[in-house]
Amino acid sequence: MRAYLVTRILLIVPTLLGVASLVFVIMRVIPGDVALLILGGDSGQIDRAQLAAMHHRLGLDQPLPVQFGTWLAGVLRFDFGTSLWTGRPVIEELLIRLPLSLELAVLATMVAVLISIPLGMLAAVRQDTWIDYVVRVISIGGLAIPSFWAGILVILFLVVFFGWGPPLVYTPPWVDPWANFQQMVWPVLTVGYRYAAVTSRMTRSTLLEVLREDYIRTAWAKGLREGEIVIRHALKNAMLPVITLIGTEFAFLIGGLIVTETVFTLNGVGRFVVDAVAHRDYPVVQALVFVIAFGFVIVNLLIDLTYAWFDPRIRYRVIR
Amino acid sequence: MSLQYPLVHETASASLAPRRTAGDVVVNFIRTKPVGAGGGLIILAMLVVALLANALAPYDPYQGDYALQFARPSAEHWLGTDEFGRDVLTRIMYGARIALFVGFAASFGGCTLGALLGVVSAYCGGRVELLLERLIDILLAFPQLILALAVASVLGPAVQTVVVAVAIPIVPRAARVVRSAALSVKENPYVEAVHALGAARRRVVLQHIIPNVMAPYIIILTAQLGSAILAEAALSYLGLGTAEPTPSWGLMLSGSAASYAEKAPWIAVFPGIAISLGVFGFNLFGDSLRDALDPKLRRG
Amino acid sequence: MAARIRPHRTLFTVAALALLLASAALGTPPRVQAADTPRHGGILLAVIGAEPPSLDPHQEGTFANIQLVAPCYSTLLQFDPLNFSKIIGDVATEWKFAPDGRTYTFKIRPGIRFHDGSTLTAADVKASYDKIISPPPGVGSFRKSSFTAIERVEAPDPGTVVFKLKFASASLLANLASPWNAIFPKKYLDQDPNYFKTHVVGSGPFKFKSYTHGSTFEGERNPDYFVKDRPYLDGYRFFISTETSVRAAAIRSGRAYIEFRDLPGPEVEAIRKQLGDKIVVQQTPVSAHWGISVNNNLKPFNDIRVRKALTLGLDRYTASRVLYPLNGLKLIGGLMRPGSEWEMPEAELQKLPGFGKDIEKSRAEARRLLAEAGYPNGLKVILKNRNIKLPYQDFAVFVIQEWRKIGVEAEHRPLETAAWFADGRDTGNFELIVFPPVEFMDDPDLWLGIYTSRDSRNWGRFSDLRVDDLFARQARTLDPVERRKLAHEIERIVLENAYYLPGLWWTRNLVHWAKVKNYVAPPNYYSNQKLQDVWLAED
Repeated sequence: MRAYLVTRILLIVPTLLGVASLVFVIMRVIPGDVALLILGGDSGQIDRAQLAAMHHRLGLDQPLPVQFGTWLAGVLRFDFGTSLWTGRPVIEELLIRLPLSLELAVLATMVAVLISIPLGMLAAVRQDTWIDYVVRVISIGGLAIPSFWAGILVILFLVVFFGWGPPLVYTPPWVDPWANFQQMVWPVLTVGYRYAAVTSRMTRSTLLEVLREDYIRTAWAKGLREGEIVIRHALKNAMLPVITLIGTEFAFLIGGLIVTETVFTLNGVGRFVVDAVAHRDYPVVQALVFVIAFGFVIVNLLIDLTYAWFDPRIRYRVIR
Repeated sequence: MSLQYPLVHETASASLAPRRTAGDVVVNFIRTKPVGAGGGLIILAMLVVALLANALAPYDPYQGDYALQFARPSAEHWLGTDEFGRDVLTRIMYGARIALFVGFAASFGGCTLGALLGVVSAYCGGRVELLLERLIDILLAFPQLILALAVASVLGPAVQTVVVAVAIPIVPRAARVVRSAALSVKENPYVEAVHALGAARRRVVLQHIIPNVMAPYIIILTAQLGSAILAEAALSYLGLGTAEPTPSWGLMLSGSAASYAEKAPWIAVFPGIAISLGVFGFNLFGDSLRDALDPKLRRG
Repeated sequence: MAARIRPHRTLFTVAALALLLASAALGTPPRVQAADTPRHGGILLAVIGAEPPSLDPHQEGTFANIQLVAPCYSTLLQFDPLNFSKIIGDVATEWKFAPDGRTYTFKIRPGIRFHDGSTLTAADVKASYDKIISPPPGVGSFRKSSFTAIERVEAPDPGTVVFKLKFASASLLANLASPWNAIFPKKYLDQDPNYFKTHVVGSGPFKFKSYTHGSTFEGERNPDYFVKDRPYLDGYRFFISTETSVRAAAIRSGRAYIEFRDLPGPEVEAIRKQLGDKIVVQQTPVSAHWGISVNNNLKPFNDIRVRKALTLGLDRYTASRVLYPLNGLKLIGGLMRPGSEWEMPEAELQKLPGFGKDIEKSRAEARRLLAEAGYPNGLKVILKNRNIKLPYQDFAVFVIQEWRKIGVEAEHRPLETAAWFADGRDTGNFELIVFPPVEFMDDPDLWLGIYTSRDSRNWGRFSDLRVDDLFARQARTLDPVERRKLAHEIERIVLENAYYLPGLWWTRNLVHWAKVKNYVAPPNYYSNQKLQDVWLAED
């Protein structure tokens, strides 16, 4: 197990390095220049000398390998540099926005788990009956509606029929739980529903799989009650893949909050990515992609370790 | 995460089942999977509309009638007209073409490339596997929006661009699923025995691995069809998709559709329904297909 | 209730005769015209559509900057908050200029205090203008080019500032009234010329309170403000939201009372329907114009016949009818804002290509020109654009539909803002590109400079020496009648050669709750953001 652990952790390095190089290259291949954006304003008055001066000040006139090296060296010291757009440390900018995104992700996950596991179970136990059909139609429906569209409709519905709009600023739950609730409830439900749709399908299919295993048949043969079989025996064994999925979806979620945060104008990490890309704010984009990738890799590592713990064959495969 | 799509350990036994004609399969599918058949019907309807848009659509999707901006649904314009007086029904019909094209091209391209990578990785092992695995990890961990942006700015805003942008995130997922299926086949004692008996490597791959990864390949392919259509809509919403005046469902939903939602709800509601219905159809079908193809879930 | 903007008063006729132009204000605040008695107190809540790169108005050109910080700063002169076309004093109480127009002397109001308690003197004004006119290396200056006439700024004593000019400049006073040219305390500029990118220290009616990036900006009442009894408000709190529908929803739900830029017509209609009298919509023209830059160096656009065909193919009268309800693109005019004192008379305009009333005749002519230029079967072009729906994309959709009628097939390429700059406008990597000049006022120096050879905003990259010469002459002409003649001559040359394809002039809907009093929307979204006279009838 230890050898496996060490190998897995070492393998993170090339992945993160790859992500870092890829984002660096992509951001410089796509056309755009933060200096032009800053100097351009609304109507665009560009003075060539000022442009060059700004490039120099922002360090954009240095050779690309130097820029990459400087940045990477900074990352190793947990220093992500300063934003080209605002001139403030990236880490500071990130910390303003992180709590909101984390709260949104955690709450959405909770909502999803609470809805999806009972529904998925019900559908599996009653496979190919109307209950199964209804659950599946609801959950597949959740995957079919574009989330930005759902968000826009929700906001519009509330304001048209109730004259109510969500607060415009994020208030942490420990400062004012009610204000926080008002702002977060709709995005959480929008994201959570979609998330629940994914997990309930997964719960259903893994549970179906487990229910066909021999030991369940034995349990039936022993004359145990259905509830006991499903919950005590089947569910326990079906949970591993479901938890895996919840984990990976959570990792994807952090990277995928972009649309939700844009629709609900939440000042979170997702919108920060969009803004930073739009501004060609290289250090911010690089830092955010790095952090998102890091979170993703860690969650995956934890999942894989869990599996390896249960299934020695996996360990063998990686080490070899 | 490869477990999102069940591994197929026992597919080899599927070929032992008595041969059935295609008709039997369809009838059986409809009988046992009515929900999936419903999805199939929606897909079929979409296909017909898309193929015959030229003949079926009542108007020109590009040219508006300026006298009829924001016209309500009527006998002439069943689903009303949009802000430029263009017929919404016509644009939805032509939009089906783009949705299907993006859906099929992106998921077929992404899954096929992914499957190839997965098979190569599983089959070669060693350094090739290590390298390909890292590549897949990198692609998985990378935010899709930024990839899409890169593609969009290199290729320009066109339907083909959207296909590439949507296909890229599919590649690593498909690769993961197919690789684990291929691995389990490769490590199957039977295949190892064949190999040991001196069968050529290529023959082992062609005869055993490829047929056995077909099921997960088809499952993930159908599963991605719906999300590819949604991804196109999301890209359009973020301004990275197809360009006006292309009649794309995503474009019709985005932009100022929200501003018109009260004045002329039909402009945004009908494309919204079209997109949801289309994705819904693909997902229903894909879900049931998975039930049907996955031997572990097969009844009996 | 649409605010009518009166035509510019002819500033310079008065000036040339009298030599002395004293502000009507002279120490007293502008008279409040509203019938009700102003109420003190309350926090003004507003939604702002973007976030600025920095807080230094000297270095920025986006409305997002000035709308946030303007309430904290004073300027030398200002546009009258209640009557945009009039220039009045702010920290300057009176001014005069020499007959040759090359020396301007300003008297600074004594006793003005910055928010840090120090006194505002002529030295601060000089330091601020020195930074704008010749910024030290590494410091940006957005409006440097507006002050090319200035030789130097002097502060002979704490109460006097003198601007010495190389040549007479007709636009000088208007440029000194620009909301962007805030007066900073000299001592911070000496410390760090970029100090104000991250700090706000001014002498305006409000003091900086807090700024959360991407989210809120707050100011509080300045009790030591030099205008007695102002401001009325206790403070302001602005929310940043880039999503139009969210800003509209914020107004509807009362989370914000005002949106200073624009909300689209259909959205406004819905808000009005729901809130009735509680909402006021001020519709104003805007010094913003949507048109298309043609890359004059590229084949076939270097052929005047092709350019002329493209402009003839645009039916601007129908465009106004079709686009106005969608996004406010409405007014038909030349290169200067229709309705301003510089507008080109309609009769004259209609003689220019693309402005004729008989569109069929124009289209026939366009097809003939294309055939003559070697494209009898039509032409394929690429139209680059910014990927913002209103009004950019709507405008392009209309243009594409129109050009189909003369056999021009345009491929539409919307780009993100950054690429629209760097892979289009600024690098010349385009055939045709949607381009809106936007300004804070209507002066010909700002509006016609972009057609001269050397200007960095000449995106079409053409050069016409006649234009260059006329432009230099009008900039030095103090007599407005003579200046207008020269300006129209430039317009005629640009339009007849179709160096640039004008589209429509913009109008906007400034939406606010009726309880927000005494805010008069100017014909731009940069000026009148000081808010010293604005008050809230209730909270």
